[in-house]
Amino acid sequence: MSSDTLTRIRYRYLPDHLIGEILSKRWIDNAVPFLALVVLVAVFGIIAPGFLSVSSITDLGRQVAEFGLIVLGLSIVLMSGGIDLSVASVFTLAVLASLIGTNVEGFSVGLTAIGVVFLGVVCGSINGYLIGYMRLRAFLTTLVTLIIFRSIYDILFLRMSTAIVASFSDSDFLFFIGSGTILGIPFSLWVTLIIAVGWHIVLSRMRPGWRLTAVGGARRSAYNAGISVRRTVFFAYVWSGALSALAGFLFAARIGSTGADTGVGLEVSALTAAVLGGNSLGGGRGSVAKAAMGALFVLILSNNLTNFGVSGPVNSTILGCVLISSVFIDMRWLRNRHKWLSKIYVSPAYLQLPPPPSATDANSPYALNDKLRSVEIIGLGQIDGPEDVILDRDDNLYCGTRHGDIVRFFGPDHKRHEVFAHIGGHPLGMQFDRDGNLLVCIGGMGLYKVTPQKEVIKLTDETNRSFLSVVDDSRLRLADDLDIAPDGRVYFSEATIRYEQEEWATDALESRGNGRMICYDPRTGTTKTEIHRRVFPNGVCMANDGVSFLFAESWIATINRYYFDGPKKGTIETVISNLPGYPDNINRASDGNYWAALLGMRTPALDLALSMPGFRRRMARRVAPDLWLYPNINTGCVVKFDEQGNILDALWDLGGQNHPMITSMREHKGYLYLGGVSNNRIGRYKLPDADPNWTAQDFYWGREGSSRT
Amino acid sequence: MMEALKCLYAGFRGFDEAGSAVPMMDGPLKPNTALDEAPVVLRLPEIDNLTATPAGLVASQGAGLLRLRSAGGALDAAEQQVFSSEISCLAADASGALAVGLDGQGIAIQGGRHDGLQIKEVNGTVLRAPTAALFLDPDTLIVANGSAEYMTTDWKRDLMNRRSSGSVWRIALGGKGREATQLARNLAFPYGVAVGAGGLLVAEAWRHRVVALDLAAAKPPRAVLSDLPAYPARIAPASGGGFWLALFAPRNQLVEFVLREEDYRRRMVATIDPAYWIAPSLSSGASFLEPIQGGARKKLNMLKPWSPSWSYGLVVRCDANMRAVASFHSRADGSLHGVTSLAESAGALFVGAKGSGAIARLQEQDARS
Repeated sequence: MSSDTLTRIRYRYLPDHLIGEILSKRWIDNAVPFLALVVLVAVFGIIAPGFLSVSSITDLGRQVAEFGLIVLGLSIVLMSGGIDLSVASVFTLAVLASLIGTNVEGFSVGLTAIGVVFLGVVCGSINGYLIGYMRLRAFLTTLVTLIIFRSIYDILFLRMSTAIVASFSDSDFLFFIGSGTILGIPFSLWVTLIIAVGWHIVLSRMRPGWRLTAVGGARRSAYNAGISVRRTVFFAYVWSGALSALAGFLFAARIGSTGADTGVGLEVSALTAAVLGGNSLGGGRGSVAKAAMGALFVLILSNNLTNFGVSGPVNSTILGCVLISSVFIDMRWLRNRHKWLSKIYVSPAYLQLPPPPSATDANSPYALNDKLRSVEIIGLGQIDGPEDVILDRDDNLYCGTRHGDIVRFFGPDHKRHEVFAHIGGHPLGMQFDRDGNLLVCIGGMGLYKVTPQKEVIKLTDETNRSFLSVVDDSRLRLADDLDIAPDGRVYFSEATIRYEQEEWATDALESRGNGRMICYDPRTGTTKTEIHRRVFPNGVCMANDGVSFLFAESWIATINRYYFDGPKKGTIETVISNLPGYPDNINRASDGNYWAALLGMRTPALDLALSMPGFRRRMARRVAPDLWLYPNINTGCVVKFDEQGNILDALWDLGGQNHPMITSMREHKGYLYLGGVSNNRIGRYKLPDADPNWTAQDFYWGREGSSRT
Repeated sequence: MMEALKCLYAGFRGFDEAGSAVPMMDGPLKPNTALDEAPVVLRLPEIDNLTATPAGLVASQGAGLLRLRSAGGALDAAEQQVFSSEISCLAADASGALAVGLDGQGIAIQGGRHDGLQIKEVNGTVLRAPTAALFLDPDTLIVANGSAEYMTTDWKRDLMNRRSSGSVWRIALGGKGREATQLARNLAFPYGVAVGAGGLLVAEAWRHRVVALDLAAAKPPRAVLSDLPAYPARIAPASGGGFWLALFAPRNQLVEFVLREEDYRRRMVATIDPAYWIAPSLSSGASFLEPIQGGARKKLNMLKPWSPSWSYGLVVRCDANMRAVASFHSRADGSLHGVTSLAESAGALFVGAKGSGAIARLQEQDARS
């Protein structure tokens, strides 16, 4: 079918899942201001003569240095959930103080700089004390301090203006600060760049920055989380004052004079720049990059408008319009981003499965039966979600629950139980290592080890990040099942990197290779992704040769074998393809073969939909998630197969009365124990002709736990 | 032109185009478990066409016509006759005549003045899917022909191919079936008929509504009960005035979506067994090959009653103006799904659930709103 070929090619080479991943990144907020900036530069680059000349850019650089510091200070306050209107007054006061210090009093440049910044700190502390500790309204408080600081400036300026004009500093260093360059970049810009990079690291990588954002984003939650809200707010204003004062010092060094209109209207420009860059007025959202982009935008716009002869009031009006429209766009963006994201995140891929083998045919190896309807029930109602079950040598039965516990049922009758370990995430696949430690994959957390003394040890929660991934795929999102090689290396599957534990079935709608196989080496403590891009890789089980393992790829109904050692190292063979259901965990059987659980059955309607990704994409957009077409996980079964891929046995519970879904099974001393990720029970099925003394640990690790030969 | 543009814009934005949202079950249709609580008086697979006659209740099972007798608290079925084709509708008049709709073969009259009359076609139209019939008087029969293309048993194909080729006829039996008036055509699967104050009431299944037609001549249908959350089937008059309305399957947002997805729908109809379609059904959950929806996944071994489902049990009590006043439900986890026919007898309502293969007895005081 040619249309199918086209569909396949389109969905293979146009990775539309990336759109959703990009939209889910934090930095996507910068997209709109960045585009606006690019457009602005392009426009003025074309229509303004000399806009891109070196002198013009150097001059712009100096202005950006001063203005950028103010915008950065204001952005810090905005991020903390407040507003600082007094930045311009502090700036002006600092200009005056610098000139008095260097020109009139003749203090050294360094001393003046420190003094001026200290002045800013004092001004900021007043704001911060009133707002942070006295709990006054930020807007009114800083409006009042704006007027007060400005009045102080006006009074001092009247008295000192003659003295300032009459004298000037002959310090070369001051001249260098005002007009010098290092590597072609103005000195003041270097100062700003260093501060900006420092703040970027603080805001994005360090605790104080995260606390600041937390306070701005949700004050009460931050308080409840133990963050000192008042102190955080206080220091935000202190920083704002200090940075504004530093900007004033740089300004004074460059211009060398001040006037009655210095800094008038600067707070509006700074606010425009901060908001335009994408710093939210509501707090909690912002970055240094946003502040820098906003500052550049506003400066380029207003400078060029001035150059084109636009008068000051008109210039201000235009800036005001820009402020209003950026607030509007910011609001729309914030309100709609998650809607767009939720509509487009599910991005199905093309998958054509051959027609499944019939299970209703009596001659089929999968022929239906009701063997599992009579299983004994263990722990009914006491557990929620035993995805995997495992037994130790003393017949104790372990399973995970959705509450984040590993529950142990005491053998041999499994009537009593205890919480063996509380880990916090939903435990999925489990395996005992040579020393009897329980290794367990935890959804959302990674690979953990629980010692027989109930000590919980994290083995790994991250792997190497792939080179071209958009989402951070180094964190383990859905570690699923594991097995341990004879040399101790742990191979485990991560079912998908695009969905969390509770949404695992949504990955079936995509049926793309979102998962991977990962190897943890305890000898070096390293974790490395071994196989990339598999479709919901799930159960893992070492093959009998000791150099390869079997793993299931659920949504493509396939079981593969991967050689991690030996002559075929690095190759993958398909053992079984086209199962009638979706394979989950794989475990050893007493006769040397393997058990596989089918967590759900394929349905013709979904199989058809898998080959029509556009249909599924529209469905994800237009139909409520609870009404989406899902794999039929209400019926499960267990199959036994050999290494050649022959199906030897099938155990069913039609209608799912005892076991609606089966995600795992474990053979132990003649019984098969059954787990299911959304069940409230464990099943126990008597195998008619299995070795009644066989245990998986003795079989794999040897009777004394000694090395297998 | 504007409509097409609107449709295109709606498609781009992912809005719901007109008529594809599924109404809530609310107000008088608020879900309850009244149907599940009603005592089952007879278990009979494929029970259909429960009809009250002067001589008691009759019903059909496949091609067999059954006479039902009260036996203690339950009912007892005795096979009366086997027809050449599946019985698709039954109607009785006061004098004891019985009109039997035969799937693909038209109407056969038994007893009364026109005993033995066979009506295969009227005015050149083959009665391929006689879904409902009604004696206006001993000589006049109303017949609803569900579809011009598909037999009644293929109703799923009629729905999923988006057909609306049904018609309603008024047939004068004295004229050997040749004197017939078409009261309406291009109906989307007319499935039930009753005489009401506004004329002839017809349940138009695929448009989820009940319309009123003129009893004598073809006039445009007038909707009297619309936006139903399920597909309506037979209408039975209630002794206290008003009507009983059987609704045989629930509407589902995913089905409405598939109905608009031309490509998928075509391939599904062409390649998949109708039992495993994304489509309403009389009963569901029997096979693992049926598709399921996210909300229907079992958690802790329970199917939640509010799960989306392909089948449902619903009986609605309507007043004389066909306004819903009360309803009786068997929800997703219930056991009386796919109600196609209703009959009042001896002060009780008998509910024929074809999907679950059972007849339940409902007392009017069980009504809940």
